[in-house]
Amino acid sequence: MKRNIVILFLFTITILSPLLLSSKVLANNAVAHATEEESPGMELPQFEAGQAPEGESGATPEAAEEEELEVVQYRTFFGLDSRVVVWIVSELHLMFAAFVLGVPIFAVIVEIVGYKGGDVKYDKMAKEFTKLLSAAFATTASLGGLLAFCLFGLYPEFMSHMTNVFAPTMYIYALLFFGEAFTLYGYYYSWDILKGTAFRKWSHISLGVMLNLFGTSLMFLTNSWATYMMSPSGVSPATGRVLSLYHAFYNELWMPVNIHRLIANVCFGGFIVGAYAAVKFLGARTEEEKAHYDWMGYVGNFIGIGALIPLPFAGYWLGREVYSASPVMGNIMMGGAFSWTFIIQAILIGMLFIGANYYLWLGMGRIKGSERYTKFIKYLVFIIFACFAVWLTPHNLPLSGEERAMIGEQYHPFSKYFGVMAAKNAVVNMIILATFFSFLIYRRSNKGETVPFSEQGRAGKIGIFSALIFCLLMLVSYAVSLNFVELEANIKEFVKPLITSLYIQSFAVGLAAFLTFKNKGKLAQTMLFAVTACIAVLYFWYYGFEVMQKANLVLRYLSVTQVSIVMSCLIMNAVIDIFVFRKAKLVGGISWGKMPVRSQYALILLCIVIVILMGLMGFIRSGLRMDWHVYGILQDTSQWAYTPTLSFMGRVVGLIVALFLGLVAFVFWLANLGESKGKTATQ
Amino acid sequence: MANKRSTYLMMWMVFVVICVFLFLRYASPKIFQVLMAKGHPMPTPSTLMMWYMIMGVLAGLVYATTSNQKFADFLSFLLPEHGSLIKSFLQKVLFVTFPLIIGWFVYSWSIPGAASPVELRIQHPTLPQNYEKQENPFRQKDAETQRRCVEEGKILFQTYCRPCHGSKADGNGPFANSFRLRPINFQDPGTIATVVDNYLFWRIKEGAPGLPSESTPWDSAMPAWKDDLKDDEIWKIIMGEYDTAGVMPRQREKLE
Repeated sequence: MKRNIVILFLFTITILSPLLLSSKVLANNAVAHATEEESPGMELPQFEAGQAPEGESGATPEAAEEEELEVVQYRTFFGLDSRVVVWIVSELHLMFAAFVLGVPIFAVIVEIVGYKGGDVKYDKMAKEFTKLLSAAFATTASLGGLLAFCLFGLYPEFMSHMTNVFAPTMYIYALLFFGEAFTLYGYYYSWDILKGTAFRKWSHISLGVMLNLFGTSLMFLTNSWATYMMSPSGVSPATGRVLSLYHAFYNELWMPVNIHRLIANVCFGGFIVGAYAAVKFLGARTEEEKAHYDWMGYVGNFIGIGALIPLPFAGYWLGREVYSASPVMGNIMMGGAFSWTFIIQAILIGMLFIGANYYLWLGMGRIKGSERYTKFIKYLVFIIFACFAVWLTPHNLPLSGEERAMIGEQYHPFSKYFGVMAAKNAVVNMIILATFFSFLIYRRSNKGETVPFSEQGRAGKIGIFSALIFCLLMLVSYAVSLNFVELEANIKEFVKPLITSLYIQSFAVGLAAFLTFKNKGKLAQTMLFAVTACIAVLYFWYYGFEVMQKANLVLRYLSVTQVSIVMSCLIMNAVIDIFVFRKAKLVGGISWGKMPVRSQYALILLCIVIVILMGLMGFIRSGLRMDWHVYGILQDTSQWAYTPTLSFMGRVVGLIVALFLGLVAFVFWLANLGESKGKTATQ
Repeated sequence: MANKRSTYLMMWMVFVVICVFLFLRYASPKIFQVLMAKGHPMPTPSTLMMWYMIMGVLAGLVYATTSNQKFADFLSFLLPEHGSLIKSFLQKVLFVTFPLIIGWFVYSWSIPGAASPVELRIQHPTLPQNYEKQENPFRQKDAETQRRCVEEGKILFQTYCRPCHGSKADGNGPFANSFRLRPINFQDPGTIATVVDNYLFWRIKEGAPGLPSESTPWDSAMPAWKDDLKDDEIWKIIMGEYDTAGVMPRQREKLE
C-alpha cells in the first residue's frame, strides 16, 4: 500500500514538473494582416512583426464590439514558452506512439512463431507484450489530443496553413484511429477466445496483422505532415496555395522518414520491453519468474538489436535525402548548427551497440559450451570500441589557441581522417558486422557436434541456394543498374570501382555457397566476413574520401553499394549458420534465470539510451527547419524562432525522457495491478 | 575446455591503457609528422586524448565484467597472495601509483594557469536563406564560356586571394604565417568540396565579420569583399578557386 502511494506521488510530481521547470516568458502575440480576398487557397501572411492593436483606454464595450478581430499568429501557454510546451507534448506523444506501433509488429511475429512451433511460452509472451500495449494506447491517444489542441491553440496561423493543405488527410487519420482502436482491443481481449482451432488462431493473428496495417498507415499519414514541413512541395511558395495534395503528401522526405521510423519503432519497442523484463527480473521472487523474465529480456534485446542493425542504413538514406532536398539543410545538419548533436547521437548509438553486445556476452555465461567461444570476446571488444572511437571523433575538434598553433592547421589528422562520413560509414558497418558475429557465437554456444551439410537433405540445399539467388539478385542487379546512372562522363568514372566491388562480393557469396556444399561452412563464413570487411570497411573508407572530394554525386551510390555488400554477408552467413548447425547435438542447454544482475542493468541502460536518442533525433528533425514552420514557405516570426543551445536542448530532452519513463512505469504498473503475485507462467 | 584463468587480468588492462596513452601522447605525433611530411610533430588534441583514454578504460572494464569468472579474476589481483614475488611487487606499485595519478590529475586541473579557452566549433555556419537560392550564372553556360570564366577566376584568385590562401589554394600564402588562425586549405577534401558553391559566394561576400565565435575555421581574418568585388567576379573566383585546389563543389543531388 505504501509503495503504491509513493508511486502515485512520484507520478504527480512527474506530471507537474514541466510547469515548474519551464521558463516563463511574456505573451507577445504577433498579429498578421488578415487577407481580405477570399480564395480557394490560403494567402500567406506578410511577415512584418505586427503589433496587437492597443485598446484605447476607457473604450466602451460597444466600441470593443465594433473593433474588427485581428488574426492571431501565436499565443502563449498560460505565459509559458509555447514552443517548449509543443516540443514536450509532441515528443511524449511520439515516444508513446513509437511503442504502440512498434510492439504489435513483433507481438504478432512472436505469436506466429509460438503457434507454428507449438511452444506456448511464445504465445504467453506475445500476450504480455499486448497487455503493455493496450495500457499504453490510451495514453498515446490522450497525448495526441493534447498535442492537437496545443498546436491549434498556440500556433493558430500555422495550423490554419496545415489544415488548408492537409484537411482531407486529417479526416482519414481520424477514421484510421477507429480501426486502430478496434483492432487493438479486439486483438487483446479475444486472445483466449480465439484459441483451440487453426481457424480461430489464424483469425486472431489476422486481427494482429490488421492492427499493424492500421498503425503503420496512421504513422505514414502523420509523417507526411511532418516531412512536408521540412521539404514542402505541392504548394505555391509565393501564395501558399495548394497546387497538388498528392505532391504535398508524397513529399521528398516522406518515404525515408517512414522507413526509418518503422524500423526505429521496432527497435524502441524491443528495448523498452527488455527493460520491463529486466525490472520484473530484478523483483522476481521465484526461480520460475526469473527464468521467464530472463527469457523475455533476451527476446526484447534480440528484437531491439535486430532492428538496430538496419537502422543506420535507413538513417543514412534519410540524411542523404535531406541533402538532396536542400544541400543547405544538409550542411546545417551534419556540418553546421546541428553537427554537435550528431556527436551526441554517435555516443548514444555506440552505447546501444556496446550495451546489446555486452548483454549477449553475459548471456553466454548461462550456456554450457560457450567456453569454446569466449576467446573471441576480447577481439570483439577491441573492434567495437576502436570503431566507436572513430565513430564519435568530430571533424571539427574543440581546440585551444595553443593546440591550434602546435598542430599548425585547422584539422588534426585524427579528425581529418576519422571525422568525415566516409570513415563513419566504414566503422558503423564494422560495428554491425562485429555485432552479427556476437550473435553467431551466442547461437553456437549451445551447439556441439554438427551434422555434415551433405546430410542435411533438401531443406539445406534449398535454403542455401535461395539465399545465394537472393544475394546475387541484390548485388548483380544493382551493379547492372549502376551502368545506367545519368552522370557526366568525368564523374561516372568513379562508379566503376563500385561495380567491380559488387561483382567481387557476388563471387565471394557464390564461393561461400560452394564451400558450404562441400561441408566447409565455417570456412565459407570466415571467408565472406573477411571479403566483406576488406571491401565495405577498408576499401570504402579510402574510396569514400576519393569520391567525397572529386565526385560527391557518387556518394549515394557508394553508400548503397556498401549497404548491399554488408547485407549480403549478413544474410548469407546467417543462412549458412542455420544449416551448418541444424540438427547439431545440444551441449547442455540454456539455464534461463542464471544471469548476473548487471546484465539487467544493461537492459535498463539500453532502454534509457534509446529514449534519449529518440528525444535527441526528434529535436534535430524538427530543429533543422531553423526559423521556418514550413521550410522556405511559412516563416516562424514568434519570439521562439531561434535554435536552442545544446545545453537547453539537453535539459528539455532530459525532462522529456524523465517524463516518458515515469509515465511508462506508471502505465505498466497499472497494467499489472490486476495480476496476483507469484503467478508467472512456468517455462 | 575451460579457459585458462588469469589473476593478472587487471595488470594486463593497466598495461593496455598505458600503451594507448603512450601511443597517443608520443607515437602518433611522430607517425603523423612522417606520414604527412610535416616539419613538426602533430600532437593529439587534449579533447581527443581524453575521449580515447575514456574509451580505453571503458573497453577494459567491459571486457573484465563479461563473465562472473573474469570479474572475479580481475578483482583477485588485489587480494594478498603469498609466494609470488612479482605479483606482490606489482600490487605495491599499483597501490602507490594509482592514488598518485589521481592526485596528479586533481593537481594539474586545479593549478592556476593561463590558456586560451577551448570552444565548440562547427564546420559550416548556417547559410542565410537568401543565399540558398543563388545560382552560379556561369555554370549553365557552354563549355568554352565556362573554361574562360575559370581562367579569369584563376587570375582574380591570384590577385585577391593568393596572399593568404596561396597560389595553390593550399592555405600557404605569403601572409599565412602572420595569422593566429591560418587561412583555410582548400585542397583538403573536408573544406570547400563539402559545400555548394553558393556557400562560398556568401563567405567571400560577407567574410568573417559577424559570424558566431564557434564558426572556426570560417571565423578568421577573412575580410568582406562585397564592396570591392562584383557578384560576377566572385562567381568566377569560386570557379577558379575550385579548379586551382583540384576539388569540385558539392553538387545538388537529384532525388530518386
